[in-house]
Amino acid sequence: MLGGGFLPQSANLVEGAPGTGKSTLGMQFIYNGIVKYNEPGLILTFEEFPQQYYADAASMGWDFAKLEKEGMLKIIMTSPEVSHSDLENVGGIIETYVADMGIKRVVVDSITHFERLTTDPIELRNIQYGFINALKREGLTSLLTKESATLLGESANPNSDIAFVVDSYSILRYVEIDSAVSKALLVLKMRGSNHAKDIRQYEIEPNVGIQLKEKFQGREGILSGNPRRSMADAFDEAFIK
Amino acid sequence: MAEHDDFTAKLMEDMPDDLLEFVKTKVTSFIKWDLIRFFHENPDTVDTAENIARYAGRSIAAVEPELEELEASGIMQRKLIGDKSVFTLTDDPEMRRLISAFVHACEDRQFRVKAVYHIIRGMQ
Repeated sequence: MLGGGFLPQSANLVEGAPGTGKSTLGMQFIYNGIVKYNEPGLILTFEEFPQQYYADAASMGWDFAKLEKEGMLKIIMTSPEVSHSDLENVGGIIETYVADMGIKRVVVDSITHFERLTTDPIELRNIQYGFINALKREGLTSLLTKESATLLGESANPNSDIAFVVDSYSILRYVEIDSAVSKALLVLKMRGSNHAKDIRQYEIEPNVGIQLKEKFQGREGILSGNPRRSMADAFDEAFIK
Repeated sequence: MAEHDDFTAKLMEDMPDDLLEFVKTKVTSFIKWDLIRFFHENPDTVDTAENIARYAGRSIAAVEPELEELEASGIMQRKLIGDKSVFTLTDDPEMRRLISAFVHACEDRQFRVKAVYHIIRGMQ
């Protein structure tokens, strides 16, 4: 869907409601980087305790504690204000880990927490822009999670500027179909790549993480959270079948 | 008082010397105990006293002095990041070994009872 994957040293935003799998996708990004590409990873968590990551990763069949012991992974619990200041200064904690471990990938969980630093949207955009550029300066490919308050339907925060700052923007959504909830992934933006424009179903599976499934066939209004049959399918249903 | 000290000594005498010293000199309050366990479980935490207090679910007024005492006793380190004073777990491998030994010893109920008794005696 990403037309070959995230570009090196790019910033990639993944937005979704609670439980859609943002953190799982982040862990999958880090785990695959380590085991498939030998790229050490860093997780910056602003809310969830590292021990929770170990437990969540273990439930997916990924041994994060072992990877940390092997020097391939670091999970740092900190806050937006500290990590922002840290990256602004030469020889900070993150910069030192990146240099010492050869870290290539970082997950920031979640970028939404930067909103507590200021109520001024222009200042917030400047802070996020500076933070993302600092990650790029360190040679990191980043996956930034963003919380969406709405479970179904349109995003609740249309004023968010971060989508303009990042290189790719994907959304994870709940979709209600026939009284059951499915999950949908859509790539809205991908700089420098001809990404797929279709909306794909996905499931979270042990040892894999997010597993893409087929497209939503014969449905319209998927992003509304409450799709309806497409005109063609409805016609088929009414007159042909 | 002497009777109490004798009883305490008897209660703690089967602890390894280094662990006994650790409990007697560093784990002097329940908040310190919580913080030591938190940083053992989340060893790469780097944050301000205010945010650490939030992680611990306590007030900054209660946590900050305890963090400062843990720093003085060599368990925590304080760094200046920009204009922010942040706390991290010590890098010292011997201190980390002791912290790990303490946390693992706490899995034993008898050990916990002894450590709790020691803290309460110290608070009186």
